[in-house]
Amino acid sequence: MTTFKSSGPRNQLRTRGFRRSLRKLGPAIFVGVVLSYLFAPVIVTVLFSFTVSPRLSLPIEGFTLDWYKSAFGNPLFVDATMNTLTLALSSAIVAVIFGTSFAFGITSIKGRRRRIALTASLLPAAIPALVLGIALAVFFSGIGSRQGLLNASIGHAVLSLPFVILTMNARLETFDFTTLEAARDLGASPLQTFRDITLPIIRTAVIGAGLLAVALSLDEFVVTWFNIGNEMTIPVLIWGLLRRGIDPSINALASVVLVSLIAIVMVSNRLTNRSER
Amino acid sequence: MKNSAAIRRLLLPGISLYAIFFIIPLSILAVYSFWTQIDFKMHPGFTLEHYQTVFMTSLYRDVFLRTIIVAMLTALIVVPIAYILSYIMQFVFPSKARLLLNIILISMFSGYLVRIYAWRTILGKEGLLNTALIHFRIITEPITFLIFSNWSIAITLVGLLIPLALLPIWSSMSNVSKDHLEVAGDLGSRGFQMHRTILIPMVLPGIATAFAISFILAAGDFVVPTMLGGTNGVMAGNLIADQFKGLAPNWPLGASLAICVLAILIAIQMGFMKLVREVTRL
Repeated sequence: MTTFKSSGPRNQLRTRGFRRSLRKLGPAIFVGVVLSYLFAPVIVTVLFSFTVSPRLSLPIEGFTLDWYKSAFGNPLFVDATMNTLTLALSSAIVAVIFGTSFAFGITSIKGRRRRIALTASLLPAAIPALVLGIALAVFFSGIGSRQGLLNASIGHAVLSLPFVILTMNARLETFDFTTLEAARDLGASPLQTFRDITLPIIRTAVIGAGLLAVALSLDEFVVTWFNIGNEMTIPVLIWGLLRRGIDPSINALASVVLVSLIAIVMVSNRLTNRSER
Repeated sequence: MKNSAAIRRLLLPGISLYAIFFIIPLSILAVYSFWTQIDFKMHPGFTLEHYQTVFMTSLYRDVFLRTIIVAMLTALIVVPIAYILSYIMQFVFPSKARLLLNIILISMFSGYLVRIYAWRTILGKEGLLNTALIHFRIITEPITFLIFSNWSIAITLVGLLIPLALLPIWSSMSNVSKDHLEVAGDLGSRGFQMHRTILIPMVLPGIATAFAISFILAAGDFVVPTMLGGTNGVMAGNLIADQFKGLAPNWPLGASLAICVLAILIAIQMGFMKLVREVTRL
Protein backbone atom coordinates (compact mmCIF):
# COMPACT_ATOMS: atom_id res chain seq x y z
CA MET A 1 0.00 0.00 0.00
CA THR A 2 2.93 2.32 0.64
CA THR A 3 4.23 1.84 -2.90
CA PHE A 4 1.29 3.82 -4.16
CA LYS A 5 2.04 6.98 -2.21
CA SER A 6 5.73 7.12 -3.14
CA SER A 7 5.03 8.11 -6.74
CA GLY A 8 7.36 11.09 -6.35
CA PRO A 9 7.39 14.82 -6.99
CA ARG A 10 5.98 14.44 -10.49
CA ASN A 11 2.67 14.23 -8.73
CA GLN A 12 2.88 17.91 -7.91
CA LEU A 13 2.74 19.00 -11.53
CA ARG A 14 -0.77 20.31 -11.85
CA THR A 15 -1.62 18.85 -15.26
CA ARG A 16 -0.45 15.44 -14.13
CA GLY A 17 -2.46 15.72 -10.97
CA PHE A 18 -5.51 16.64 -12.99
CA ARG A 19 -5.01 13.80 -15.45
CA ARG A 20 -4.45 11.47 -12.51
CA SER A 21 -7.71 12.42 -10.84
CA LEU A 22 -9.47 12.14 -14.19
CA ARG A 23 -8.11 8.63 -14.49
CA LYS A 24 -9.66 7.83 -11.13
CA LEU A 25 -13.04 9.17 -12.15
CA GLY A 26 -13.99 6.06 -14.12
CA PRO A 27 -13.16 3.66 -11.29
CA ALA A 28 -14.96 5.89 -8.79
CA ILE A 29 -18.10 5.88 -10.95
CA PHE A 30 -17.85 2.09 -11.31
CA VAL A 31 -17.65 1.63 -7.55
CA GLY A 32 -20.57 4.03 -7.10
CA VAL A 33 -22.75 2.15 -9.59
CA VAL A 34 -21.97 -1.24 -8.02
CA LEU A 35 -22.67 0.06 -4.51
CA SER A 36 -26.00 1.56 -5.57
CA TYR A 37 -26.88 -1.73 -7.22
CA LEU A 38 -26.04 -3.63 -4.03
CA PHE A 39 -27.86 -1.26 -1.71
CA ALA A 40 -30.87 -0.31 -3.87
CA PRO A 41 -32.98 -3.16 -2.42
CA VAL A 42 -32.03 -2.14 1.11
CA ILE A 43 -32.97 1.49 0.58
CA VAL A 44 -36.23 0.60 -1.18
CA THR A 45 -37.26 -1.73 1.64
CA VAL A 46 -36.62 0.76 4.41
CA LEU A 47 -38.13 3.68 2.49
CA PHE A 48 -41.35 1.87 1.64
CA SER A 49 -41.80 0.55 5.16
CA PHE A 50 -42.76 4.15 6.04
CA THR A 51 -44.98 5.11 3.10
CA VAL A 52 -48.76 5.47 3.29
CA SER A 53 -49.63 3.87 -0.04
CA PRO A 54 -49.50 0.08 0.14
CA ARG A 55 -48.58 0.07 -3.58
CA LEU A 56 -44.85 0.25 -3.99
CA SER A 57 -44.71 2.96 -6.58
CA LEU A 58 -43.87 6.59 -7.14
CA PRO A 59 -44.78 9.31 -6.30
CA ILE A 60 -44.78 8.77 -2.54
CA GLU A 61 -47.96 10.07 -0.94
CA GLY A 62 -47.00 10.33 2.72
CA PHE A 63 -45.40 8.57 5.65
CA THR A 64 -46.79 6.34 8.40
CA LEU A 65 -45.76 3.88 11.10
CA ASP A 66 -48.84 1.69 10.54
CA TRP A 67 -46.91 -1.10 8.82
CA TYR A 68 -44.66 -1.47 11.84
CA LYS A 69 -47.75 -1.69 14.04
CA SER A 70 -49.25 -4.41 11.87
CA ALA A 71 -45.91 -6.28 11.66
CA PHE A 72 -45.44 -6.29 15.43
CA GLY A 73 -49.14 -7.02 15.90
CA ASN A 74 -48.90 -10.20 13.84
CA PRO A 75 -49.76 -13.00 16.30
CA LEU A 76 -46.90 -15.09 14.95
CA PHE A 77 -44.34 -12.32 15.43
CA VAL A 78 -43.36 -13.02 19.06
CA ASP A 79 -43.10 -16.74 18.53
CA ALA A 80 -41.05 -16.26 15.35
CA THR A 81 -38.70 -13.83 17.08
CA MET A 82 -38.10 -16.17 20.01
CA ASN A 83 -37.41 -19.11 17.70
CA THR A 84 -35.12 -17.04 15.50
CA LEU A 85 -33.09 -15.92 18.50
CA THR A 86 -32.94 -19.46 19.93
CA LEU A 87 -31.65 -20.77 16.60
CA ALA A 88 -29.14 -17.95 16.25
CA LEU A 89 -27.68 -18.33 19.74
CA SER A 90 -27.56 -22.13 19.86
CA SER A 91 -26.08 -22.53 16.37
CA ALA A 92 -23.56 -19.71 16.91
CA ILE A 93 -22.31 -21.24 20.17
CA VAL A 94 -21.85 -24.66 18.55
CA ALA A 95 -20.22 -23.17 15.44
CA VAL A 96 -17.83 -21.03 17.49
CA ILE A 97 -16.69 -23.88 19.76
CA PHE A 98 -16.23 -26.39 16.93
CA GLY A 99 -14.85 -23.81 14.50
CA THR A 100 -12.30 -22.32 16.89
CA SER A 101 -11.13 -25.77 17.90
CA PHE A 102 -10.82 -26.72 14.23
CA ALA A 103 -8.91 -23.54 13.40
CA PHE A 104 -6.41 -24.33 16.19
CA GLY A 105 -6.11 -27.92 15.04
CA ILE A 106 -5.39 -26.90 11.48
CA THR A 107 -2.33 -24.91 12.58
CA SER A 108 -0.60 -28.24 13.23
CA ILE A 109 -0.81 -29.08 9.52
CA LYS A 110 1.55 -27.34 7.11
CA GLY A 111 1.74 -26.52 3.42
CA ARG A 112 -0.43 -28.11 0.73
CA ARG A 113 -2.30 -30.43 3.09
CA ARG A 114 -3.33 -27.46 5.18
CA ARG A 115 -4.73 -25.66 2.15
CA ILE A 116 -6.67 -28.77 1.16
CA ALA A 117 -8.05 -29.21 4.70
CA LEU A 118 -9.08 -25.56 4.81
CA THR A 119 -10.77 -25.72 1.40
CA ALA A 120 -12.61 -28.92 2.37
CA SER A 121 -13.85 -27.30 5.56
CA LEU A 122 -15.47 -24.54 3.47
CA LEU A 123 -17.55 -26.93 1.36
CA PRO A 124 -20.89 -26.47 3.19
CA ALA A 125 -20.79 -22.82 2.10
CA ALA A 126 -20.01 -23.77 -1.50
CA ILE A 127 -22.92 -26.09 -2.27
CA PRO A 128 -26.46 -24.77 -2.73
CA ALA A 129 -28.20 -24.40 0.65
CA LEU A 130 -31.08 -26.25 -0.98
CA VAL A 131 -29.00 -29.42 -1.32
CA LEU A 132 -27.76 -29.21 2.26
CA GLY A 133 -31.32 -28.55 3.42
CA ILE A 134 -32.83 -31.60 1.72
CA ALA A 135 -29.86 -33.82 2.63
CA LEU A 136 -30.32 -32.94 6.30
CA ALA A 137 -34.09 -33.41 6.07
CA VAL A 138 -33.58 -36.87 4.58
CA PHE A 139 -30.94 -37.72 7.18
CA PHE A 140 -33.00 -36.57 10.16
CA SER A 141 -36.07 -38.45 8.99
CA GLY A 142 -33.86 -41.53 8.54
CA ILE A 143 -32.68 -41.43 12.15
CA GLY A 144 -36.19 -40.63 13.34
CA SER A 145 -35.54 -37.07 14.49
CA ARG A 146 -38.76 -35.05 14.15
CA GLN A 147 -38.48 -31.77 12.21
CA GLY A 148 -38.18 -28.78 14.50
CA LEU A 149 -35.87 -26.26 16.09
CA LEU A 150 -33.15 -28.79 16.98
CA ASN A 151 -32.77 -30.03 13.40
CA ALA A 152 -32.77 -26.49 12.04
CA SER A 153 -30.23 -25.41 14.64
CA ILE A 154 -27.82 -28.17 13.61
CA GLY A 155 -28.27 -27.11 9.99
CA HIS A 156 -27.41 -23.52 10.90
CA ALA A 157 -24.32 -24.65 12.80
CA VAL A 158 -23.06 -26.59 9.75
CA LEU A 159 -23.69 -23.53 7.56
CA SER A 160 -21.91 -21.13 9.93
CA LEU A 161 -18.94 -23.37 10.67
CA PRO A 162 -17.01 -22.48 7.45
CA PHE A 163 -17.30 -18.77 8.20
CA VAL A 164 -16.13 -19.22 11.79
CA ILE A 165 -13.19 -21.36 10.62
CA LEU A 166 -12.21 -18.72 8.03
CA THR A 167 -12.35 -15.90 10.58
CA MET A 168 -10.45 -17.78 13.28
CA ASN A 169 -7.91 -19.10 10.80
CA ALA A 170 -7.14 -15.53 9.71
CA ARG A 171 -6.69 -14.54 13.36
CA LEU A 172 -4.45 -17.49 14.21
CA GLU A 173 -2.09 -16.75 11.32
CA THR A 174 -0.53 -14.07 13.50
CA PHE A 175 -0.98 -15.96 16.77
CA ASP A 176 2.24 -16.50 18.72
CA PHE A 177 2.18 -20.12 19.87
CA THR A 178 5.42 -19.75 21.86
CA THR A 179 3.49 -17.84 24.56
CA LEU A 180 1.47 -21.00 25.16
CA GLU A 181 4.61 -23.10 25.41
CA ALA A 182 6.09 -20.57 27.83
CA ALA A 183 3.00 -20.80 30.02
CA ARG A 184 3.16 -24.60 29.97
CA ASP A 185 6.89 -24.52 30.81
CA LEU A 186 6.10 -22.31 33.78
CA GLY A 187 3.77 -25.02 35.09
CA ALA A 188 0.33 -23.94 33.90
CA SER A 189 -2.13 -26.74 33.17
CA PRO A 190 -3.61 -26.92 29.64
CA LEU A 191 -6.90 -25.59 31.01
CA GLN A 192 -5.18 -22.71 32.84
CA THR A 193 -3.19 -21.87 29.72
CA PHE A 194 -6.34 -21.76 27.66
CA ARG A 195 -8.27 -19.68 30.21
CA ASP A 196 -5.53 -17.21 31.12
CA ILE A 197 -3.47 -16.91 27.94
CA THR A 198 -5.24 -18.17 24.82
CA LEU A 199 -8.77 -16.94 25.45
CA PRO A 200 -7.88 -13.32 26.32
CA ILE A 201 -5.78 -13.08 23.15
CA ILE A 202 -8.38 -14.50 20.77
CA ARG A 203 -11.46 -13.17 22.58
CA THR A 204 -12.35 -10.34 20.20
CA ALA A 205 -11.95 -12.63 17.17
CA VAL A 206 -14.14 -15.26 18.84
CA ILE A 207 -16.88 -12.71 19.55
CA GLY A 208 -16.57 -11.37 16.00
CA ALA A 209 -16.89 -14.87 14.53
CA GLY A 210 -19.81 -15.60 16.85
CA LEU A 211 -21.67 -12.48 15.74
CA LEU A 212 -21.08 -13.46 12.13
CA ALA A 213 -22.63 -16.85 12.87
CA VAL A 214 -25.57 -15.11 14.58
CA ALA A 215 -26.08 -12.90 11.52
CA LEU A 216 -25.96 -15.88 9.15
CA SER A 217 -28.51 -17.74 11.26
CA LEU A 218 -30.88 -14.77 11.64
CA ASP A 219 -31.05 -14.46 7.86
CA GLU A 220 -31.14 -18.18 7.02
CA PHE A 221 -34.23 -19.38 5.23
CA VAL A 222 -33.57 -22.35 2.94
CA VAL A 223 -32.09 -24.93 5.33
CA THR A 224 -34.56 -23.77 7.99
CA TRP A 225 -37.56 -24.23 5.74
CA PHE A 226 -36.74 -27.86 4.95
CA ASN A 227 -35.97 -28.81 8.56
CA ILE A 228 -38.08 -26.77 10.94
CA GLY A 229 -41.44 -28.46 10.40
CA ASN A 230 -44.33 -26.33 11.65
CA GLU A 231 -42.27 -23.97 13.79
CA MET A 232 -41.99 -20.33 12.78
CA THR A 233 -38.95 -18.07 12.38
CA ILE A 234 -38.79 -14.50 11.10
CA PRO A 235 -37.53 -15.52 7.62
CA VAL A 236 -40.16 -18.30 7.44
CA LEU A 237 -42.81 -15.74 8.46
CA ILE A 238 -41.58 -13.31 5.78
CA TRP A 239 -41.69 -16.13 3.21
CA GLY A 240 -45.27 -16.92 4.18
CA LEU A 241 -46.27 -13.25 3.76
CA LEU A 242 -44.42 -13.05 0.44
CA ARG A 243 -46.27 -16.06 -0.94
CA ARG A 244 -49.58 -14.47 -0.01
CA GLY A 245 -48.87 -11.35 -2.04
CA ILE A 246 -47.98 -7.72 -1.52
CA ASP A 247 -48.25 -6.86 2.17
CA PRO A 248 -46.45 -3.68 3.24
CA SER A 249 -45.88 -5.07 6.73
CA ILE A 250 -43.24 -7.25 5.01
CA ASN A 251 -41.20 -4.10 4.44
CA ALA A 252 -41.50 -3.16 8.10
CA LEU A 253 -40.57 -6.64 9.28
CA ALA A 254 -37.72 -6.78 6.77
CA SER A 255 -36.42 -3.37 7.85
CA VAL A 256 -36.22 -4.54 11.46
CA VAL A 257 -34.26 -7.62 10.37
CA LEU A 258 -32.07 -5.53 8.06
CA VAL A 259 -31.14 -2.98 10.68
CA SER A 260 -30.30 -5.63 13.29
CA LEU A 261 -28.29 -7.68 10.78
CA ILE A 262 -26.30 -4.67 9.58
CA ALA A 263 -25.60 -3.60 13.18
CA ILE A 264 -24.41 -7.09 14.13
CA VAL A 265 -22.19 -7.42 11.07
CA MET A 266 -20.66 -3.99 11.61
CA VAL A 267 -19.75 -4.84 15.21
CA SER A 268 -18.44 -8.25 14.12
CA ASN A 269 -16.35 -6.65 11.38
CA ARG A 270 -14.87 -4.13 13.76
CA LEU A 271 -13.93 -6.83 16.28
CA THR A 272 -12.33 -9.19 13.76
CA ASN A 273 -10.46 -6.36 12.03
CA ARG A 274 -9.13 -5.00 15.29
CA SER A 275 -7.95 -8.39 16.48
CA GLU A 276 -5.96 -8.83 13.27
CA ARG A 277 -3.61 -6.09 14.28
CA MET B 1 6.29 -28.21 18.12
CA LYS B 2 6.24 -30.83 20.83
CA ASN B 3 2.51 -31.04 21.41
CA SER B 4 1.45 -30.82 17.77
CA ALA B 5 -0.30 -34.20 18.08
CA ALA B 6 -2.40 -32.73 20.89
CA ILE B 7 -3.20 -29.69 18.78
CA ARG B 8 -4.10 -31.88 15.83
CA ARG B 9 -6.67 -33.60 18.04
CA LEU B 10 -8.55 -30.28 18.13
CA LEU B 11 -9.62 -31.01 14.55
CA LEU B 12 -11.73 -33.94 15.73
CA PRO B 13 -14.90 -32.16 16.93
CA GLY B 14 -15.19 -30.21 13.67
CA ILE B 15 -14.43 -33.26 11.54
CA SER B 16 -17.06 -35.33 13.36
CA LEU B 17 -19.66 -32.58 12.99
CA TYR B 18 -18.97 -32.42 9.25
CA ALA B 19 -18.96 -36.21 8.96
CA ILE B 20 -22.27 -36.69 10.75
CA PHE B 21 -24.22 -33.69 9.56
CA PHE B 22 -22.72 -33.03 6.14
CA ILE B 23 -21.05 -36.03 4.55
CA ILE B 24 -23.44 -38.73 5.82
CA PRO B 25 -26.58 -36.72 4.87
CA LEU B 26 -25.23 -36.10 1.36
CA SER B 27 -24.37 -39.79 1.03
CA ILE B 28 -27.85 -40.78 2.19
CA LEU B 29 -29.29 -38.39 -0.39
CA ALA B 30 -27.21 -40.14 -3.05
CA VAL B 31 -28.35 -43.58 -1.87
CA TYR B 32 -32.01 -42.50 -1.77
CA SER B 33 -31.81 -41.51 -5.42
CA PHE B 34 -31.71 -45.27 -6.21
CA TRP B 35 -34.59 -46.20 -3.91
CA THR B 36 -38.28 -46.22 -4.67
CA GLN B 37 -41.21 -44.58 -2.98
CA ILE B 38 -44.53 -46.34 -2.72
CA ASP B 39 -47.43 -44.69 -0.89
CA PHE B 40 -45.16 -42.08 0.72
CA LYS B 41 -42.90 -44.79 2.17
CA MET B 42 -39.30 -45.32 1.17
CA HIS B 43 -38.30 -48.75 -0.11
CA PRO B 44 -34.62 -49.71 -0.25
CA GLY B 45 -33.42 -51.09 -3.53
CA PHE B 46 -31.49 -50.19 -6.61
CA THR B 47 -33.33 -48.65 -9.50
CA LEU B 48 -32.23 -46.20 -12.16
CA GLU B 49 -35.84 -45.31 -12.84
CA HIS B 50 -35.58 -41.78 -11.42
CA TYR B 51 -32.47 -40.96 -13.39
CA GLN B 52 -34.30 -42.21 -16.48
CA THR B 53 -37.20 -39.92 -15.62
CA VAL B 54 -34.82 -37.00 -15.19
CA PHE B 55 -33.15 -37.51 -18.55
CA MET B 56 -36.17 -38.63 -20.59
CA THR B 57 -38.66 -35.99 -19.45
CA SER B 58 -38.41 -33.04 -21.78
CA LEU B 59 -39.65 -30.69 -19.04
CA TYR B 60 -36.70 -31.57 -16.83
CA ARG B 61 -34.25 -31.28 -19.72
CA ASP B 62 -35.58 -27.85 -20.63
CA VAL B 63 -35.45 -26.65 -17.04
CA PHE B 64 -31.87 -27.92 -16.61
CA LEU B 65 -30.80 -26.16 -19.78
CA ARG B 66 -32.48 -22.94 -18.67
CA THR B 67 -30.86 -23.22 -15.25
CA ILE B 68 -27.42 -23.63 -16.77
CA ILE B 69 -27.96 -20.66 -19.08
CA VAL B 70 -29.20 -18.36 -16.32
CA ALA B 71 -26.48 -19.46 -13.89
CA MET B 72 -23.80 -19.06 -16.55
CA LEU B 73 -25.11 -15.61 -17.48
CA THR B 74 -25.08 -14.66 -13.79
CA ALA B 75 -21.55 -15.95 -13.18
CA LEU B 76 -20.26 -14.27 -16.35
CA ILE B 77 -21.62 -10.92 -15.11
CA VAL B 78 -20.61 -11.38 -11.47
CA VAL B 79 -16.99 -12.50 -11.96
CA PRO B 80 -15.85 -9.56 -14.16
CA ILE B 81 -17.54 -7.09 -11.80
CA ALA B 82 -15.78 -8.68 -8.82
CA TYR B 83 -12.48 -8.67 -10.73
CA ILE B 84 -12.77 -5.00 -11.65
CA LEU B 85 -13.78 -4.13 -8.08
CA SER B 86 -10.77 -5.99 -6.68
CA TYR B 87 -8.50 -4.26 -9.20
CA ILE B 88 -9.85 -0.86 -8.23
CA MET B 89 -9.54 -1.66 -4.51
CA GLN B 90 -5.96 -2.86 -4.84
CA PHE B 91 -4.48 -0.46 -7.41
CA VAL B 92 -6.67 2.66 -7.69
CA PHE B 93 -7.95 3.34 -4.16
CA PRO B 94 -5.72 1.14 -1.97
CA SER B 95 -6.25 3.32 1.10
CA LYS B 96 -10.03 2.83 0.82
CA ALA B 97 -9.86 -0.92 0.13
CA ARG B 98 -10.70 -2.07 3.65
CA LEU B 99 -13.65 0.32 3.90
CA LEU B 100 -15.03 -0.73 0.50
CA LEU B 101 -14.68 -4.40 1.37
CA ASN B 102 -16.58 -3.89 4.62
CA ILE B 103 -19.37 -1.93 2.93
CA ILE B 104 -19.78 -4.61 0.27
CA LEU B 105 -19.76 -7.39 2.87
CA ILE B 106 -22.47 -5.57 4.82
CA SER B 107 -24.69 -5.73 1.75
CA MET B 108 -24.23 -9.51 1.85
CA PHE B 109 -25.95 -9.53 5.22
CA SER B 110 -28.77 -7.21 4.32
CA GLY B 111 -31.41 -9.93 4.23
CA TYR B 112 -31.62 -12.68 1.63
CA LEU B 113 -35.41 -12.86 1.26
CA VAL B 114 -35.71 -9.12 1.70
CA ARG B 115 -33.41 -8.29 -1.18
CA ILE B 116 -35.19 -10.74 -3.48
CA TYR B 117 -38.56 -9.24 -2.58
CA ALA B 118 -37.18 -5.73 -3.01
CA TRP B 119 -36.01 -6.51 -6.54
CA ARG B 120 -39.50 -7.69 -7.38
CA THR B 121 -40.93 -4.41 -6.20
CA ILE B 122 -38.29 -2.49 -8.13
CA LEU B 123 -38.58 -4.38 -11.43
CA GLY B 124 -42.31 -5.18 -11.44
CA LYS B 125 -44.74 -3.99 -14.10
CA GLU B 126 -46.18 -1.49 -11.61
CA GLY B 127 -42.94 -1.41 -9.68
CA LEU B 128 -40.64 1.36 -8.69
CA LEU B 129 -38.57 1.52 -11.87
CA ASN B 130 -41.56 1.64 -14.20
CA THR B 131 -43.62 4.09 -12.17
CA ALA B 132 -40.58 6.33 -11.76
CA LEU B 133 -39.77 6.26 -15.48
CA ILE B 134 -43.43 6.98 -16.34
CA HIS B 135 -43.65 9.69 -13.69
CA PHE B 136 -40.66 11.48 -15.17
CA ARG B 137 -42.07 10.88 -18.67
CA ILE B 138 -39.08 8.92 -19.89
CA ILE B 139 -41.34 6.09 -21.06
CA THR B 140 -45.09 5.91 -21.61
CA GLU B 141 -45.65 2.14 -21.41
CA PRO B 142 -44.18 0.02 -18.59
CA ILE B 143 -41.16 -2.11 -19.44
CA THR B 144 -42.27 -5.71 -18.93
CA PHE B 145 -39.29 -7.83 -19.96
CA LEU B 146 -37.52 -6.95 -16.71
CA ILE B 147 -39.90 -8.90 -14.51
CA PHE B 148 -40.74 -12.62 -14.50
CA SER B 149 -38.00 -13.42 -16.99
CA ASN B 150 -34.47 -14.78 -17.07
CA TRP B 151 -33.35 -11.15 -16.80
CA SER B 152 -35.08 -10.47 -13.51
CA ILE B 153 -33.64 -13.71 -12.12
CA ALA B 154 -30.12 -12.81 -13.27
CA ILE B 155 -30.35 -9.19 -12.05
CA THR B 156 -31.33 -10.38 -8.58
CA LEU B 157 -28.77 -13.19 -8.43
CA VAL B 158 -25.98 -10.84 -9.53
CA GLY B 159 -26.77 -8.55 -6.60
CA LEU B 160 -26.78 -11.48 -4.20
CA LEU B 161 -23.52 -12.97 -5.47
CA ILE B 162 -21.19 -10.00 -6.06
CA PRO B 163 -20.01 -9.91 -2.40
CA LEU B 164 -19.39 -13.68 -2.37
CA ALA B 165 -17.42 -13.56 -5.64
CA LEU B 166 -15.45 -10.54 -4.49
CA LEU B 167 -13.96 -12.33 -1.46
CA PRO B 168 -11.83 -14.97 -3.26
CA ILE B 169 -10.72 -12.65 -6.08
CA TRP B 170 -9.83 -9.91 -3.63
CA SER B 171 -7.88 -12.33 -1.43
CA SER B 172 -5.78 -13.38 -4.47
CA MET B 173 -5.42 -9.84 -5.77
CA SER B 174 -4.32 -8.37 -2.44
CA ASN B 175 -1.11 -10.41 -2.74
CA VAL B 176 -0.18 -8.73 -6.05
CA SER B 177 1.86 -5.56 -5.59
CA LYS B 178 1.84 -2.51 -7.82
CA ASP B 179 5.49 -3.24 -8.62
CA HIS B 180 4.48 -6.41 -10.47
CA LEU B 181 2.24 -4.43 -12.76
CA GLU B 182 4.81 -1.67 -13.24
CA VAL B 183 7.43 -4.19 -14.29
CA ALA B 184 4.90 -5.67 -16.70
CA GLY B 185 4.17 -2.17 -18.02
CA ASP B 186 7.90 -1.47 -18.53
CA LEU B 187 8.15 -4.70 -20.49
CA GLY B 188 5.46 -3.43 -22.83
CA SER B 189 2.46 -5.21 -21.42
CA ARG B 190 -0.26 -2.66 -20.84
CA GLY B 191 -4.02 -2.37 -20.75
CA PHE B 192 -5.95 -5.44 -21.78
CA GLN B 193 -2.71 -7.27 -22.64
CA MET B 194 -1.45 -6.74 -19.08
CA HIS B 195 -4.64 -8.17 -17.60
CA ARG B 196 -4.60 -11.21 -19.88
CA THR B 197 -0.96 -12.12 -19.61
CA ILE B 198 -0.04 -10.94 -16.10
CA LEU B 199 -2.82 -10.17 -13.67
CA ILE B 200 -5.50 -12.73 -14.56
CA PRO B 201 -3.05 -15.67 -14.43
CA MET B 202 -1.84 -14.41 -11.06
CA VAL B 203 -5.32 -14.31 -9.54
CA LEU B 204 -6.64 -17.33 -11.42
CA PRO B 205 -7.32 -19.44 -8.31
CA GLY B 206 -9.47 -16.62 -6.95
CA ILE B 207 -11.32 -16.24 -10.26
CA ALA B 208 -11.98 -19.98 -10.47
CA THR B 209 -13.33 -20.05 -6.92
CA ALA B 210 -15.48 -16.98 -7.56
CA PHE B 211 -16.88 -18.53 -10.73
CA ALA B 212 -17.58 -21.81 -8.94
CA ILE B 213 -19.37 -20.10 -6.06
CA SER B 214 -21.51 -17.82 -8.21
CA PHE B 215 -22.35 -20.49 -10.78
CA ILE B 216 -23.23 -23.18 -8.23
CA LEU B 217 -25.20 -20.93 -5.91
CA ALA B 218 -27.05 -19.32 -8.85
CA ALA B 219 -27.96 -22.72 -10.29
CA GLY B 220 -29.08 -24.06 -6.92
CA ASP B 221 -31.27 -21.17 -5.85
CA PHE B 222 -35.01 -21.72 -5.80
CA VAL B 223 -36.22 -18.62 -3.98
CA VAL B 224 -35.20 -16.15 -6.71
CA PRO B 225 -36.97 -18.05 -9.54
CA THR B 226 -40.02 -18.54 -7.30
CA MET B 227 -40.27 -14.83 -6.59
CA LEU B 228 -39.06 -13.37 -9.89
CA GLY B 229 -39.33 -16.13 -12.47
CA GLY B 230 -43.05 -16.04 -13.10
CA THR B 231 -44.97 -19.01 -14.46
CA ASN B 232 -42.29 -20.01 -16.98
CA GLY B 233 -39.44 -19.18 -14.64
CA VAL B 234 -38.95 -22.61 -13.10
CA MET B 235 -35.33 -23.51 -12.41
CA ALA B 236 -33.71 -26.74 -11.25
CA GLY B 237 -33.95 -25.63 -7.63
CA ASN B 238 -37.75 -25.40 -7.89
CA LEU B 239 -37.98 -28.93 -9.28
CA ILE B 240 -35.91 -30.27 -6.37
CA ALA B 241 -37.70 -28.24 -3.71
CA ASP B 242 -41.10 -29.40 -5.05
CA GLN B 243 -40.15 -33.04 -4.53
CA PHE B 244 -39.64 -32.29 -0.83
CA LYS B 245 -42.04 -29.47 -0.02
CA GLY B 246 -44.58 -29.65 -2.84
CA LEU B 247 -48.03 -31.17 -2.98
CA ALA B 248 -46.83 -34.59 -4.14
CA PRO B 249 -43.41 -35.13 -2.63
CA ASN B 250 -41.17 -37.80 -4.12
CA TRP B 251 -37.89 -37.97 -2.26
CA PRO B 252 -36.05 -40.44 -4.49
CA LEU B 253 -36.89 -38.37 -7.57
CA GLY B 254 -35.87 -35.19 -5.75
CA ALA B 255 -32.63 -36.83 -4.64
CA SER B 256 -31.74 -37.93 -8.17
CA LEU B 257 -32.56 -34.44 -9.48
CA ALA B 258 -30.22 -32.95 -6.86
CA ILE B 259 -27.44 -35.43 -7.68
CA CYS B 260 -27.82 -34.69 -11.41
CA VAL B 261 -27.65 -30.95 -10.80
CA LEU B 262 -24.52 -31.33 -8.65
CA ALA B 263 -22.88 -33.56 -11.28
CA ILE B 264 -23.66 -31.14 -14.11
CA LEU B 265 -22.38 -28.20 -12.08
CA ILE B 266 -19.11 -29.93 -11.23
CA ALA B 267 -18.59 -30.95 -14.87
CA ILE B 268 -19.20 -27.42 -16.15
CA GLN B 269 -16.96 -26.01 -13.45
CA MET B 270 -14.09 -28.28 -14.48
CA GLY B 271 -14.62 -27.37 -18.12
CA PHE B 272 -14.55 -23.69 -17.25
CA MET B 273 -11.29 -23.98 -15.33
CA LYS B 274 -9.68 -25.83 -18.23
CA LEU B 275 -10.89 -23.13 -20.63
CA VAL B 276 -9.54 -20.31 -18.49
CA ARG B 277 -6.17 -22.03 -18.23
CA GLU B 278 -6.02 -22.44 -22.03
CA VAL B 279 -6.99 -18.84 -22.70
CA THR B 280 -4.48 -17.32 -20.31
CA ARG B 281 -1.67 -19.52 -21.59
CA LEU B 282 -1.98 -17.95 -25.07
